[in-house]
Amino acid sequence: MKSKFLLLAGLGLSLAGGLHAKTIELLNVSYDPTRQLYVEYNKAFAAHWKAKTGDDVTIKQSHGGSGKQARSVIDGLPADVVTLALSADVDALYENGRHIPKDWQKRLANNSAPYTSTIVFLVRKGNPKGIKDWDDLVKPGVGVVTPNPKTSGGARWNYLAAWEFAKRKLGSDDAAKEFVAKLFRNVPVLDSGARGSTTTFVQRGIGDVAISWENEAFLVLKEFGADKYEIVVPSLSILAEPTVSLVDKVVKKKGTEAVAQAYLDYLYSDEGQEIAARNFYRPRNQAIAAKYPDNFAKVELFTIDAAFGGWAKAQKTHFADGGTFDQIYAK
Amino acid sequence: MRNYHLRKFAPALFASLALLPITRADELSELKETLRALEQKILVLERKQEIKDEAAAAAAPATPKITVNDKGVTLASADAANSLRIRGLVQLDHRWFFSDDASLQNSSFVLRRARIIVEGTFAKQFSYQIVPEFGGANPALVDANFTWTLAPELQFKFGRFKAPVGLELLQSDSWTFFNERSVASLLVPNRDLGILAQGDVLGGKLNYTVGIIGGVADGANTTNSDFDNEKEAVGRLFATPFKDNAGSPVQGLGFGIAGTYGRAKGTNGRSAGYRTDGQQAIFTYLASTITDGPNWRITPQLDYRNGSFGLLGEYVISTVNVRANPTGKLSELQNKAWQVSAGYVLTGENSSYNGVVPANDFSLSKGTWGAFEVAARYSNLKIDDSAFPLFANPISSINESTGYALGLNWYLTKAVRFTFDYYQTEFERIATAPPTTNPILKNDEKAFISRFQIAF
Repeated sequence: MKSKFLLLAGLGLSLAGGLHAKTIELLNVSYDPTRQLYVEYNKAFAAHWKAKTGDDVTIKQSHGGSGKQARSVIDGLPADVVTLALSADVDALYENGRHIPKDWQKRLANNSAPYTSTIVFLVRKGNPKGIKDWDDLVKPGVGVVTPNPKTSGGARWNYLAAWEFAKRKLGSDDAAKEFVAKLFRNVPVLDSGARGSTTTFVQRGIGDVAISWENEAFLVLKEFGADKYEIVVPSLSILAEPTVSLVDKVVKKKGTEAVAQAYLDYLYSDEGQEIAARNFYRPRNQAIAAKYPDNFAKVELFTIDAAFGGWAKAQKTHFADGGTFDQIYAK
Repeated sequence: MRNYHLRKFAPALFASLALLPITRADELSELKETLRALEQKILVLERKQEIKDEAAAAAAPATPKITVNDKGVTLASADAANSLRIRGLVQLDHRWFFSDDASLQNSSFVLRRARIIVEGTFAKQFSYQIVPEFGGANPALVDANFTWTLAPELQFKFGRFKAPVGLELLQSDSWTFFNERSVASLLVPNRDLGILAQGDVLGGKLNYTVGIIGGVADGANTTNSDFDNEKEAVGRLFATPFKDNAGSPVQGLGFGIAGTYGRAKGTNGRSAGYRTDGQQAIFTYLASTITDGPNWRITPQLDYRNGSFGLLGEYVISTVNVRANPTGKLSELQNKAWQVSAGYVLTGENSSYNGVVPANDFSLSKGTWGAFEVAARYSNLKIDDSAFPLFANPISSINESTGYALGLNWYLTKAVRFTFDYYQTEFERIATAPPTTNPILKNDEKAFISRFQIAF
């Protein structure tokens, strides 16, 4: 009798709990190649949040060129969180409407970059044009695929990696500018985002080499076949640090601050880092990174802070209106 | 069209090549390379067209956008440079006075406010606001002004608007903690005519306003024409220095100071009277009193929000020079008032100067109740002792009032709010005053005022 009573009481409590469980919806506005990463991560986080709080959380994803995505949020896309390709695009949310505080990057570990990546080359099987390093991309007749640095975060990393390579090899910024100008003369199509560039190279068969996020290149091998494409690792590349942030204005209005914060925090958990590594993003947790040695190319990396004095300066010099990209692409 | 031609002739080219007596391997290789280049050109052209099509599909349509939500009905051009917004405000009050003099007939329904608010923008930088009032005893124009925004740091406002002085008075009628503002709002000018320069500087952490207004009595509105040849200068600074410090307990702290300075020139009837929280007149100057000479106000003010908790406080000194008659001696009178109000949102939403937004709107089917907020207020009004008996009648006017208020606000949605407020006001007259003949002053005011409001 007593056990029956306890069973009924337990059932009652469970039902009551179920009745009070909330359904929460978040919007993660991200850049182009993170689709697969966040599909897997969102499932894991929803399960984690359900177990922790009893609440159901659904995360919607929006993807596009990183700069374009930032503009959409500034224009009113109600993102609870942004997970963009670079900190300059997140900074834009502060600069245009104070959607986040100025010191947003200090709110999470590793400057709010829970994973990193780099830039490599994707070529067709057999590497018919013999691409080995950045020098080969400026040779006449080599078709290079890279997105538009004005709208794509990945493209800006590509641009800066090429610039730094040339500067080290040729000795000056002027020479680097000429080098990058030559490279862009070999670019037949400028897509707005990295995923568009992958479509151009892989599905439309355009070009001899795609300058690509490392994770995107590995994904192409996985999805389209290692028998069709190869990854070429240049002698030097850039440490790309995609950054994440709450969108304070939105979460305060929607009352989703706690769950959105937990969503970002969980990226740093062991499970979050494992998911990043499985999707070819370099986790900050080195023990987890060590478990996936084949997922990451071995390459000498430089940081944007060391080479360009940080994103704010690089953005102004190279990608703002009238910057070096406008100068070389207008030629 | 070009793609079509290339595609059409490529097979023919292949066929021709097959028929040619090719003898040299390098020629064949050259032709293959030419074909590969041609094929790439076709692919590039097709891809460029595809990207163009995608961009065109993603581009915002050029048709105007209509938005209907709890901020009103908005019609905006596709580029958002021009817009028209229509909003509304209706407040129905029930005032119940108890333990008051039997001769008073003051418990009643009141249509406190009924406004259609028309706002708009032209070319992004010119915005306007026209607000007619159909509540109260007579229809009236509440606001009619336009603002020229040169930059967030510099805007010019022209027309009829709230004088930028009192903190609670500047807050929207719809979102104050209580359904009636405190006595501190009675000592600052209400709506006046003039020109203001205003803006946000230091990264939005400091708001400034300076301007010239016609000058009205304490708590009064302009009659749409200036009372005399004199003007009043008005200024306000309000700082929110920690607004970007996310997570800091002082992030929601704002404080400031505002004031006016002007002159009146022998104007009869311009001196103000004051009311209780229940809107009953408790102080009036004698009709013969003339405002003459300099007058000024100063009001330090503070607003603090931290999660569900909100606090608002202000102190006002209002100084006026008056004569009992055209040849009477000039006397300076200084009246003072202050208030502290606090609110707490029981359902966990954030307290805000711009109203509480319920996490879940009221819905019987979903079992959600909206948001509930409790509020408390203490206020005090002190009339200069020198006002009696030359400028005000000590029998029918108070010398000091102290008010207590408790309130419950129920936000069914952002737009719909019910408020239930209890007000108690204690009156003091000067010690030498004979027994009062004013029935309002015979007992402390005890009033329960409910409000049913829709504001969007």
